[in-house]
Amino acid sequence: MITSSPLWSVLVVPVLLAAFTAVAVTADALLAARAAGRRVSPRVLVAPLAEVPRLLAAQRRTTLAPDSLLWRLGLATVPAAGVLAAVVIPFGQVTASRMSVGVVWFNAMEVLTWAGLWMAGWGPNSVLSLVGGYRFVAQGLAYELPLMFALISAAAGAQSLDVAGIASAQGRLWFVVWMPAAFAVYLASVYAFSFLGPFGYPAGRDLAGGVLAELSGPDRLVLQAGRWLLLTAGAAMAVPLFLGGGAGPLLPAWAWSAVKTVAVLILLVWGRRRLPVIRADRYAELAWVVLIPLAIVQALAVALVVLTTGGTP
Amino acid sequence: MGVTGRLVRAGAARPHVLVAAMPGGAAVRLAAEEQLRRRGWPAVLSPADADVLLVAGAPAADIAASVKTTWAAVPAPRVRAIVTSPGEVAAALDAAQAELATGAPQWLPAGDSAVLPGGDGGAASGPGGSHGAHGMASHHDMGEMDTGMPGGLPMAERGEDRDGLKLDRLHVPLGPVLPDWPAGLVVRLVLQGDVVQHAEASAVGLVEGAGSFWTEPWRRAAAGEPVTTGVAARRRAAAHLDSLGRFLAVAGWDDAAAAARALRDDTAGSRPVSSLEPAVRRLAARVTRSRVLAWSTRGAGTLRADVAAADGATSPDWRAGGDVTTRYHRWCRELADLTAVFEDGGPLDPTALEPPRGRLDGAQAPSASLLAVLPRLLEGAEFAAARLIVASLDPDLDELPARVGAGHDH
Repeated sequence: MITSSPLWSVLVVPVLLAAFTAVAVTADALLAARAAGRRVSPRVLVAPLAEVPRLLAAQRRTTLAPDSLLWRLGLATVPAAGVLAAVVIPFGQVTASRMSVGVVWFNAMEVLTWAGLWMAGWGPNSVLSLVGGYRFVAQGLAYELPLMFALISAAAGAQSLDVAGIASAQGRLWFVVWMPAAFAVYLASVYAFSFLGPFGYPAGRDLAGGVLAELSGPDRLVLQAGRWLLLTAGAAMAVPLFLGGGAGPLLPAWAWSAVKTVAVLILLVWGRRRLPVIRADRYAELAWVVLIPLAIVQALAVALVVLTTGGTP
Repeated sequence: MGVTGRLVRAGAARPHVLVAAMPGGAAVRLAAEEQLRRRGWPAVLSPADADVLLVAGAPAADIAASVKTTWAAVPAPRVRAIVTSPGEVAAALDAAQAELATGAPQWLPAGDSAVLPGGDGGAASGPGGSHGAHGMASHHDMGEMDTGMPGGLPMAERGEDRDGLKLDRLHVPLGPVLPDWPAGLVVRLVLQGDVVQHAEASAVGLVEGAGSFWTEPWRRAAAGEPVTTGVAARRRAAAHLDSLGRFLAVAGWDDAAAAARALRDDTAGSRPVSSLEPAVRRLAARVTRSRVLAWSTRGAGTLRADVAAADGATSPDWRAGGDVTTRYHRWCRELADLTAVFEDGGPLDPTALEPPRGRLDGAQAPSASLLAVLPRLLEGAEFAAARLIVASLDPDLDELPARVGAGHDH
C-alpha cells in the first residue's frame, strides 16, 4: 500500500529529483565525450556539474528594453514545474503528496512550461528567443494531445487518476506490456516537454540556442536545470504509469523505483543523441495524422479490455 | 577574493568559447575547433554563453564592427583573443584560461549589449544587431532612432503575410559572426513569424588575395606545382566533412556533427587510411540512412537544374539540382568514393577531381553562383529550413575576390 508521507517530505522531492538529474547529465556528458572521440576521464564526468559554479559567478546580462518581469518569471516557472510535477510521483511505498487526481496534477504542471517558455522567449526582446518561445507553443500543439491520451490509457487501465493507484493496479501485468503505443508516445512527449533531444527545437542550434540564446549566468542555470529536471520528472513518472512502480523481487520498493527511474533516464539520454531535431511543423503533421489516432485506438483498446474483464487482461 | 573569486576559478576549468570565424581564417577555425574538441571545452552558440571570444583570422575593416558588437554581448568574466595563425591557437586558449582563472578579468558593465550607440547601423551588424544581445537579435536594422519608443527602438512595422494576414515584420540580419555559418556571409531577412518574406545575401570582411583554404591544392596545381591526387582528395573530403558537420549541427544532430568534425580533423591530419576509410564510410552510411533527417529536410531549398544551366553555374550542387536532402546525400556518396583515392600518388587532374564546390576556371567562382541563388531559395522558407538551406549550400566566400563582396553589399 502506497501511503502519503508527512508534509516535510515535500522538501525531499527537489533533492531526490536533483540527484537523479545529476545522474542524467553525467551520462549525457559521457556520451557526448564518446561522440567527439575524447577519452572518458573523471574530468569528463564532473564537467556538467562544474557548470554550476561557472554560471553562478558569471555576470547576469540583459538586453535592450526587455520585459524583465515576464522574462524572469518565465525562467523560474520551468524548474518549478519540474519539481511540482514530481510531487505526486510515488517513490517505493511513499509519495510526497497522494492526490486522487495525481495524473491531472502532473499533466497540469507540465503544461505550465508552455507559459514559462513562452514568457522566457518573449521577455528579452530578441528575435531568437521569441522564435524559440513560439516554437515551443507550436511543439506543444503537436505533443500535448497524444500525451494526454497516453496518460488516459494508463489511468483507464487502473480505473484511477491516482498515480499510486495506477502503480498498484499493475500487480499482474505491467502496463507497458499491453499499452506499448501509449508508452512510446509518453516517452516522446517527455522529450517534448523538456525540449531536449529530437524535440530540442525551441532551443535549436539553428537559433543559436533559441530560448537560451540571451541567457547568461544564473538565468541560464535556472532554465538549463529546469529542462533536465523536467526530463527526470518525466522519466520518474513513467515508472508508476507503465513499469509497475516499486514492484519487483528481492530489493525493497524504493530501490526498484530508483533502478527503474535510472533505467528510463539512461534510455532517454541515449536516445536523445540518436536523432536529429524534428521540426515542429513536420512533427505537428505526424502527431495529428498518426499519433493522435494511434493514441486514441490505444485508449479505446484499454477501455474495451477493462469493460470486458473488469480489470487487467 | 571570497566566494565569487573561488567560483570564477572553478568555472575557468572548462571555459566556453565562441569562435568568430573571419573570411580567410578557415585554417585557424579548424585548429580552434580541433583544440576545443580535444580539451572538451564547449564551442558555444551565442555570446551570452561564452567566456572567451576567439576571433579566427584577422578581421577586415568592414567586419570589425560586428566583432565589437559580439564582444559587447559577452558577459563578464570574459577574455578576447584574435588569432591569425593555426599554430597560435593552443597558446591563445591557454592564455585565455589563465586570465579567466585569475578571477580578475573585466567586471565591466559592458556585458550589456545595449551600450553600442549607433554602432554599426549601416554595415552588416551580425550578432549584436543594433540592439538585442547578439546574433540575429535585432528587431530592426535601421540603427537607433530617437522616436520615443521603448529603448529608442522603432516598433516592428506590419505587412501582409503569405496567407493575407497582417503580421509584424521583423528585420533580422544573420551573420557574419554566427556559429555553424559560412565566414563572412550576411543574410538580411525580413521575417513574419518565422517565415522568411524577403532575403538579401552579401559578403563582408573579405581579405584581398587570401584564396580559399579548401581550393589550395588546385590553385597550387594550376600554378605548376606538383600536387598528388591523394592530397587533393583528402582536402576535398575534409571540405565535405566540414560542410556536413555544419549541416548536421544546424539540423540538431549533435553526435553525428561531432563525429563528422572529428573525422574532418583526422582527414586533414595524418590518420592512416586503413582506419580512416571505414570510419568515413560508416558515418556517410549512418547519415544517409537517417529517415528523420531526410524527412526534416525534404522539399527545402529545391534547385532546378535547367535554371542552373541558364545561369552558367559552376557549382556541382547548382548543376545537379535537387533539395537539401539531395545535397547532403551527395556529400555522403562522394565521401565514400574519395576515401578510395586518399593514397593515390599520381598527379592531380583538376577535371577528373574538382575542388569541393566546383571548378575554378569558370566565369565566376562556384560560391559566387551559390551566393546569387541563395535569396531566391530562402524566400518563403521557414526559419529552420532557411538555416538548413544555407548549410546545405555552404558557400565558401574565400573563393570570391574581395571587391565582389563589397559590390554585393547594397
